[in-house]
Amino acid sequence: MSPFPSTRSSPETRSSTRHGAGRPVSRWRLAGKLTALLAVALLPLACGDTRIHPNPSASTFGHRHDELFMLITALTGVSFLIVLAMMAVPIIRDRARPGKKAHYDHGSSLHDKRFTAIVSVVVFIVLDAWVLFVSVTDLREAWWNYPPADSEEAYRVEVLAQQWAWNFRTPGIDGEFGTADDVVTINQLTVPADRPIVLNAASKDVIHSFFVPDMRIKRDANPGSVNRVWFQTKPEAAGNDYQILCAELCGFAHYQMYANLTVLSQDDFADWEQDASALAVASFDADDTEAHWAWDFKE
Amino acid sequence: MIKATLALFAATAFATLPSGAANEEEDKSALLPPVHGVSPDNPHSRPPRDVPLVIFEDTQLLAADADDGHDEEDDYAPILFERLQAQFPDRFTWNEDEEHWVDARGEYTWDDENECYWQTVTAERLTRGRQDYVQLCASCHGFDGDGYGRSGQALRPPPRDFRQGLFKFTKVDSEKLPEDDALVQLVQEGLNGTPMLPWDIHENRIRDIVVYIKSLSLPELLDEDGEIEEDATGWRDPYGQIGVMVAADDDPWAGRETEAIAAGEAYYHNYQCYNCHPGYATTARMNELGGKDPSYTYRDGITLPKVVEDSSYEVLGYAVSIIPPDFTWHSMRRGETVADVYKTIAAGVGGAGMPTWKGSVPDEEIWAISYYVRHLTDTYKDKSATRMQFMRDVKAGH
Repeated sequence: MSPFPSTRSSPETRSSTRHGAGRPVSRWRLAGKLTALLAVALLPLACGDTRIHPNPSASTFGHRHDELFMLITALTGVSFLIVLAMMAVPIIRDRARPGKKAHYDHGSSLHDKRFTAIVSVVVFIVLDAWVLFVSVTDLREAWWNYPPADSEEAYRVEVLAQQWAWNFRTPGIDGEFGTADDVVTINQLTVPADRPIVLNAASKDVIHSFFVPDMRIKRDANPGSVNRVWFQTKPEAAGNDYQILCAELCGFAHYQMYANLTVLSQDDFADWEQDASALAVASFDADDTEAHWAWDFKE
Repeated sequence: MIKATLALFAATAFATLPSGAANEEEDKSALLPPVHGVSPDNPHSRPPRDVPLVIFEDTQLLAADADDGHDEEDDYAPILFERLQAQFPDRFTWNEDEEHWVDARGEYTWDDENECYWQTVTAERLTRGRQDYVQLCASCHGFDGDGYGRSGQALRPPPRDFRQGLFKFTKVDSEKLPEDDALVQLVQEGLNGTPMLPWDIHENRIRDIVVYIKSLSLPELLDEDGEIEEDATGWRDPYGQIGVMVAADDDPWAGRETEAIAAGEAYYHNYQCYNCHPGYATTARMNELGGKDPSYTYRDGITLPKVVEDSSYEVLGYAVSIIPPDFTWHSMRRGETVADVYKTIAAGVGGAGMPTWKGSVPDEEIWAISYYVRHLTDTYKDKSATRMQFMRDVKAGH
C-alpha cells in the first residue's frame, strides 16, 4: 500500500487527465504557491543573516571588492526575478482549465526568436559589460596599481610558503633584502598601518595561496615563480590582528596553515622594526648560507 | 559517412599497434617516470619485514638495522629486563603460564642465548607508522628522517634529524631519552612558533609514527662480534635509562601568584639566566637581586639573547646556532601555562645549552621562575608599545 492517497481514484478525474484538462486550479492559488516557494528560497536574505557576510574590509580598497560583489549579486538577482516572472506568466495564463486544454509552445516562431535575440543582447550589455567595466576599472585603479618601484613609502615583504607554514622576510631598517638585519618570521607578519604593503609570494613545495580575507587579497604562491600582490590598511586598522589563510588545498594540514597579521601604527611600527632588526642582527649567522633565502624583490 | 569514420578508426588503430612484444616492453620502461624517493637506500622503499628492530618497553629502540649484513640473531639486541622493571615497577606483570613479562603494549620474551628479554615491533605496526610518516612528516623531516625534506630546507629552527636520536622540549630530563608518552604529547601539542603543528590525528596513529621515528635512529648497537657495546650512548645504550616526563602536580605558589612573580624575578637574575636569555632589570636592580657588588658589570647586549653559535645540532654538517628565547619577544615552544614552563625548565632542553635544573635548584624556585617567565610573555609579548617602554627603561639602566 502506498502511504500517499491516490489522486486517480475516480474514473472522471482519470479521463479528464487523459484529455489534458487536469484538475482545475485557481489562478490565485497557483500564484500564491509560486510566491511561497520564492519566499522560502530568499528567506536567508530576508532575515539579514550576517554570517554570510565577511568581516568589514580593513584595507583602503577592499570596499571595491564588496561593491563589485553586491553589484553582481543585484544584477543577477534582478535578472533571476525577471526570468521567474516570465515563467510565471505562461504557467498561469496557458494552464489547463475546465473546457480549455493547456497551450504548448516551443518558441520556434520568428517572432519568438527575435525576442530571444534582443533579450540576449540586452542581458549581455547590462550584465556582462557593466560588470566587466567595473572590474577593469577596479583592477586598473586598485589591484594592479602597484606603488612605483622606487617608492620610499611602500613596505616590502617576501612570503615563502611551505607545507604547512608561512615564512615572512622583511628587509629591516636598511630596506634591503638579503642583509643581516632582515627580519625572518614564521607564521607572523607585522606591518605598518596606512602604508602600501607589497608582497612577493613564492612556495618551496606545492601551490599555496596567500589569502587575507579582511584585506580582500588572495594570490597564489607557486613553486618556481614569484607572484606579487599589494594592499594598504586603513589607518584605524592599527593595533588589530588579522588572519592569513592558505586558500589552496596544499596537503593534509592545509586547514592548519594560517598565520597572524599584526598591524601597528606607524610610530609603534618604527619601534618594532628597530627592535626586530637589532634582534635579527644579534642572531644573524653569516655561515648559515642556507637560511639566507631572499630573492631580488619583484616590484 | 559512418562507414568512412569506422574505416579511419580501424586504420589508426592498426597503425598504432606495436610491432613486437619485446619492443613494447622497452618502450614502457623508457616511458616510466623516475619515482622519487624509491631507492635501495631509502628505508621507505624496503618491503615490510617482520623483525626489523627490537624494542625495549616501547620506549627504547635497541636493535641494529636488519639490512646491515648481520645475521638475524645478532639483530635481536640483548636487553636486561630487570633494569626496565626496576625503573617502571608498576607497569609490568609476570605471566605465570607463558613465563614472560607483559605490559599494555606487548610481551617480553626471555632470550636464552643472550640472557635477556626482548620485544619485537611488528612489521605491520612499522608499516602503519611509515605510511603516516611519509604522508605527514616527510615533507619537512625528510624521507630518510634526516630533517632535510623539501619543505624543511632553509627553515630555522631546522626540523629534527631523527637519525641522531636527540629530542628537545620533551619535558624529559635532557640527558635521557624520552619515553613514548613524552614524544606523543609533543606531537599532539606541537611547538609554538615553528611549523611543527599540533597534530590532531588519533593517538594510536601517533604512537605508530613515534615507533617508526625511533627506528630511523637505529644505533650501531653491536660490535663486530655481535656483542653489545658497553660504551654505546643514547638509544644505542642498552643499559641507559629512559626518562619519564617531569610531573608538575604540586604548585607551591598556588594562590600567591604575585608573590611568585616577584620571587621569580629575583631567582631569574640570581641564577644568572641572563647569561643566555636577556636580563630584564637595570644593572642596579640586577645587582640588588643577585646580591652583587654595585660595581659588577654584565655581558654586552644584556637586553638581547646570547646566541649559541656552535650547538651540537648539525644540518648538512653545519652546526646551527641556537637562539635562547627573549620571553618578551619569542614564543615559548612549549610553555602555554606556568606548569608547562616549569616542566621545560626542570627538564632542560637537550643539545641547546639549557641544563636540567631539577635537582640543582629547589623545586619551589623553579616554579617561581616559571611564574615570572610566563608573566613576562603575558605582559609584553606582541604588545609593542608596552614592551618598548619596558625594555627602553631596562636598556637605559645599563
